[in-house]
Amino acid sequence: MEFFIKKENEKKREYDALVIGAGPAGLTAAIYIARGRFSVLVFEKVIPGGLAATTHLIENYPGFPEGVEGEELGRLMEKQARNLGVEFAMEEVVDVELEGEKKRVKTRDGEYEGKAVVIATGSSHKKLGVPGEDKFTGKGVSYCATCDAPFYKDKKIAVVGCGNSGMQEGLYLLRFVRSIDFIEYFPYIPADRILQERVKKHENVKFHLNHQVLEIVGDERVEGVRVKKRDTGEEKVIEVDGVFIFAGLSPNTAFLNGKMELEDGYVVTDEFMRTSIPGVFACGDVRKKVLRQVATAVGDGAVCGASVVEYLEGR
Amino acid sequence: MRVIVFTAPGCPWCTRAKNYLRERGISFKEVDISRNPSAARDLVRMTGQTGVPVIVINGKPVVGFNKPLIDRLLGLK
Ligand SMILES: Cc1cc2nc3c(=O)[nH]c(=O)nc-3n(C[C@H](O)[C@H](O)[C@H](O)COP(=O)(O)OP(=O)(O)OC[C@H]3O[C@@H](n4cnc5c(N)ncnc54)[C@H](O)[C@@H]3O)c2cc1C
Repeated sequence: MEFFIKKENEKKREYDALVIGAGPAGLTAAIYIARGRFSVLVFEKVIPGGLAATTHLIENYPGFPEGVEGEELGRLMEKQARNLGVEFAMEEVVDVELEGEKKRVKTRDGEYEGKAVVIATGSSHKKLGVPGEDKFTGKGVSYCATCDAPFYKDKKIAVVGCGNSGMQEGLYLLRFVRSIDFIEYFPYIPADRILQERVKKHENVKFHLNHQVLEIVGDERVEGVRVKKRDTGEEKVIEVDGVFIFAGLSPNTAFLNGKMELEDGYVVTDEFMRTSIPGVFACGDVRKKVLRQVATAVGDGAVCGASVVEYLEGR
Repeated sequence: MRVIVFTAPGCPWCTRAKNYLRERGISFKEVDISRNPSAARDLVRMTGQTGVPVIVINGKPVVGFNKPLIDRLLGLK
């Protein structure tokens, strides 16, 4: 134990670049920076791979004709980064000081210094903000299909949100559950056609389009979802044992509030992935942009890594 | 010391918890609830919750990767 603690204290605290978040964007940026022969430390509060690691199969990232499990893709990206000498700190960043030549990043366990900082913290699931949601989170309300599906074997569930995430995770949930009631705010299904077709092949699915969720109802456990049809105002309760929510994402930028330019919480960058502060860059889902996918996160990460290298070479 | 980690595939906090125990040199038994439906039912009964990881240390369940509580039960701090 003594030895472990000592080793921890001796950990290097100064790097050329500090990358916050080890999703596809942060890992790609780190790979480019390391190949430029600069030292780089990546902070990660959960596991490398990011949000992509929670999805069971990624089918639209080129190079994997049969699709690739999210966690596996994360593991491969991490390995590639480690092979190049990228270091990791499995710590949550809680505060940053970004002005000036030397930037500081604070975690729950310590403080680090870097000449450049990359923000690649991605986003987290948005809550619906309806009554019953908080009360039943982890007790019938879930935001992660791969994590919680086994608890709903042969049960009736609702999936809120018919975007790509909702449909894709719905397909995974169908391996376990008895039936799914899909609820969508818009009058149409926003997901890619290929996913819609696959879901609709199942007989035990039902769609409630143009419906708004009002409440998750139940006493001790979830008993149903109260919804309102948006054009007629008609209300009903869909009886289910569990609710999975895939109703959009919100950026992980709370620790940046008041420190740089944000728009709706997303970090604003130029096409070189530069933020409003010199030496501070951002890439991936955390940026204000149009398409949030692994392929675009990796694209951002590459541009960002190259920009960081250029910035560091000029120091 | 008896440590059991209940997990599901693709649950990132489960991987985090397992990595943490390995780093600390703690051996544990893993139960994947996606292959063991009765374990899922037992967990709901034991914790009142529908989520993994659950780390059972000497009979005491910890829901989620609650590092301070895990450290305390393991006698690490
Ligand atoms: C259910 C679902 C299914 C999806 N399916 C697909 C798909 O099939 N194909 C596809 O291309 N995309 C898919 N996506 C989108 C894809 O996951 C994201 O676009 C991609 O992961 C974005 O990468 P990123 O690196 O920008 O952010 P993320 O992957 O979100 O990574 C950010 C990382 O930063 C860490 N972090 C955040 N804050 C801190 C902090 N303060 N300190 C330390 N670490 C922190 C997080 O833990 C996380 O690991 C899916 C998303 C969801 C939710």
